[in-house]
Amino acid sequence: MELPENPNKDNNGYESAEKIILRWDSTASEDAREKMIFETDRHEADLYLQAVDEIQRSLSNASISAAAAYDQSKVNSTIQIAMARLEDEFRNILMTHSSALETDSLFDPSSSSFSSSSHHELEEDDTVSNEDSSHNGLLHFQFQHCESSDSSTYRSTSSIREVDLMPAEAISDLQAIATRMISSGYLRECIQMYGSVRKSAMDSSFSKLGIEKLSIGDIQRLEWEALESKIRRWIRAAKVCVGILFASEKKLCELIFECIGTDIDDACFMETVKGPAIQLFSFAEAISISRRSPEKLFKILDLHDALMDLLPDIEAVFDSKSSDSIRVQAAEILSRLAEAARGILSEFESAILREPSRVPVPGGTIHPLTRYVMNYISLISDYKQTLIELIMSKPSTGSRYSGDQSIPDMEFAELEGKTPLALHLIWIIVVLQFNLEGKSKHYRDASLAHLFIMNNVHYIVQKVKGSPELREMIGDDYLRKLTGKFRQAATSYQRATWVSVLYCLRDEGLHVSGSFSSGVSKSALRERFKTFNAMFEEVHRTQATWLIPDTQLREELRISISEKLIPAYRSFLGRFRSHIESGKHPENYIKYSVEDLETAVLDFFEGYPVSHQQLRKRSQ
Amino acid sequence: MPSTDYQGSSSPLTNLGRSFLPLRRDQVHSMESPIGGSPSNEAELESFQRQVADRFHDLASVPSDELLSLPWVRKLIDAFLCCQEEFRVILFNNRTPVKKPPMDRLIADYNERAVKALDVCNAIRDGIEQIRQWQKLIEIVLCALGGDNNSYQRSLGEGQFRRARKALVDLAIAMLDEKDSGQALAHRNRSFGRHNNSSSHSKDHHHRSLGHFRSLSWSVSRSWSAARQLQAIGNNLAVPRGNEVLATNGLAMPVYTMGSVLLFVMWALVAAIPCQDRGLQVHFNFPRQFPWAAPIISLHERILEESKKRDRKNACGLLREIYQMEKCSRLLGELADSVQFPLNEEKEKEVKQRVNELKQVSDAMKEDLEPLEKQVREVFHRIVRNRTEGLDSL
Repeated sequence: MELPENPNKDNNGYESAEKIILRWDSTASEDAREKMIFETDRHEADLYLQAVDEIQRSLSNASISAAAAYDQSKVNSTIQIAMARLEDEFRNILMTHSSALETDSLFDPSSSSFSSSSHHELEEDDTVSNEDSSHNGLLHFQFQHCESSDSSTYRSTSSIREVDLMPAEAISDLQAIATRMISSGYLRECIQMYGSVRKSAMDSSFSKLGIEKLSIGDIQRLEWEALESKIRRWIRAAKVCVGILFASEKKLCELIFECIGTDIDDACFMETVKGPAIQLFSFAEAISISRRSPEKLFKILDLHDALMDLLPDIEAVFDSKSSDSIRVQAAEILSRLAEAARGILSEFESAILREPSRVPVPGGTIHPLTRYVMNYISLISDYKQTLIELIMSKPSTGSRYSGDQSIPDMEFAELEGKTPLALHLIWIIVVLQFNLEGKSKHYRDASLAHLFIMNNVHYIVQKVKGSPELREMIGDDYLRKLTGKFRQAATSYQRATWVSVLYCLRDEGLHVSGSFSSGVSKSALRERFKTFNAMFEEVHRTQATWLIPDTQLREELRISISEKLIPAYRSFLGRFRSHIESGKHPENYIKYSVEDLETAVLDFFEGYPVSHQQLRKRSQ
Repeated sequence: MPSTDYQGSSSPLTNLGRSFLPLRRDQVHSMESPIGGSPSNEAELESFQRQVADRFHDLASVPSDELLSLPWVRKLIDAFLCCQEEFRVILFNNRTPVKKPPMDRLIADYNERAVKALDVCNAIRDGIEQIRQWQKLIEIVLCALGGDNNSYQRSLGEGQFRRARKALVDLAIAMLDEKDSGQALAHRNRSFGRHNNSSSHSKDHHHRSLGHFRSLSWSVSRSWSAARQLQAIGNNLAVPRGNEVLATNGLAMPVYTMGSVLLFVMWALVAAIPCQDRGLQVHFNFPRQFPWAAPIISLHERILEESKKRDRKNACGLLREIYQMEKCSRLLGELADSVQFPLNEEKEKEVKQRVNELKQVSDAMKEDLEPLEKQVREVFHRIVRNRTEGLDSL
């Protein structure tokens, strides 16, 4: 059908526009396929865009007559060719400028977490008993390092920092193209293509940041140490992702699409970012649902704090309705992490209670469990700021009336006004002692049992005193109680060991009524000396191998022993030596001088065996 | 409580279907079970088995054109959530025996299985997103050919057809199962090649699109496998032995039941929705004595049969809507290839018909995809919550 001649200027405009479009039809010519308009020539690009505008204008101007119907089809066809071309151009520009972000420069040293000096030196446990530690999860874990709270003491401000992802010229080209595409009804193509190219760039950036695609199963199978370093890396990467990558993408979408329509820039943003965001958070989610064990507490708290810090930025970046699910997921993960922390603490408390090792620590020294627990709660006090908000309920303790022998009870009446966290810490110490009491019963020697309790409770006291936060939470009242406890144990030890030894040095039973001359039963006296010597040697030999690690405590106990032993022996010797020396072989009975005993006491609780000869040598 | 017909058979499991305690009640009492063996929870346990059975009978009684449709899949997940909730109640009502061996180990095993299902949930979520991408391509086709309600009825011209064909090609590529991409790509090139671009350009274009679609498709690592995950879920899923049933006061049965339901539901989801390495060769072995075994086995067979059909063998997901989408778009594509311009009335009617069919599929999907995603997420949450509760109660 022939078109009516139209000398109208518009028609010429239309025809030349059509010509331009057809010239660049990549399905029609090799040349058109090879070159990209927007790469070639600014002028070409402008001409092309004008041509598209012209065609669009004529489409909307077309009258709905039968003749025009044919026109319309042709115009549509031309538009489609133009749109296909523009799509290619759009994609090309995008891909040219969609390389992964240089992420190294993005780690802002001032915003990264600093690790303060570790408050708690690794306690070298050199007297590891031959426990069945492989079965005992609690003891198996030695503190590798005590990286104290990085982020919990450091509440960061927003880490949003938009960077320019593309040069301004590219952006304006994209905008020009997008406007035409969208006004021709090719919005969907635009969004989809934009999303797929930008998402690909995001993927590369993710790889550079070290964000891995790990399944929940993968994470479950990893060793905790490996996970710890991944968590650290994730925390750093997440800040960059949310604050820089996502925020910059959002900005880019706004720059390109906002003047066309606000929903559009949002749709493009979500198309780009939804998948990566879910992938990012899936790691934190997997950690939050991983099996709970005590050593995980601190890294989980780090993760929790990092995510909490990120929340405001997450809400700022993902502020549209379509990004609801991401915000919701982040909040869910946060609350799961909090739950995990609570659960771990609870699990920790149960584990202490249940800790089953029965083999007594040689020498009655500090049990690895005690070290572990006290180190642990010292670290907890470092994370006080976070934990105080997370721990909201009191520990579940045994009740006074439950009659359950396997759980200690704790009266909370005197602990009014303490935070739940503090109550938990006190409870942990209560449970620890309860467990230690049970362990002490495995010593055959009652004296050693008391020494063991004394050592361990003293250690607890020292650790509490050594940490101001811990001390403040535990409170001086309870501290006093603990102090009383180890002093009591010391007294019990002395009674257990020395009463019978000193019994040998008593007066009664030695005097025989009747004869005037001696008044003292020589045979009984000799027995006494022999018994005393034997007992003392035995005690000396045995208790030299016992250990009181704390120097001051060791000294104090020795002094206390000496204060009772030496005067008693001195007075005994003074009163009765003449009777022995007047008989045969006095050296068999009076083996030791006072000085000998004084020196011997110094051997006590050193943890080294001494030989009997050593004792004798000194007496020569 | 129906009396059990214990005929003194040597196998204590012969009468499993009738009651959980395979021995007569008086024998149970006389056996001094460590729990005290009170059958007070028998009613509860029996009701659980019955409800599971009822739900799956319901699911199994659909005609084949409803099987594996989006509404059906949603119903399946609902059924799972209900079963799980009832299971949780049973565990709660029997808190004390649950903590004792061997029940504690059985529960721990179940929880481990459930955790493995979490990765499947995530993979399914990905798959749903994939389907959404396809659906967006369909929207382009509909937009081009007047299937969406926005464009007023214009007569369809060459331009619109080209636009539609482009989207259809992209859709076809996107729906390819990874394994078959090379071969099918050539095939698609041929079927879409006539009115389309010259082969070299289209190959470039397709490769580029393919590259895009593939690299972004999965958010799991390349080594993750749905098939392997399913096998892990089904690992060591064994009918409880008689002594286990006794020792746990019958509670071993619901644990086994729940594990089986979990396995089947995850398997069905993997069958329906695209995900990485979708192997369906998981061994199912549910003893027919359980009232729910028959419907589940029947569903399993029907789904397997579907997967073996000639035109579904290479499908990336057995979801009925995917099939419809693929069929409609293919037919439309063939039609689009064969038209001459200008369209005669007959052709135009044909095109409009196909477009309508496609629109129906698209609308159905649009309605159900988001709720499905939410349901899958709910499964995820419930599994996590139940596991946490289980841990806390220790």
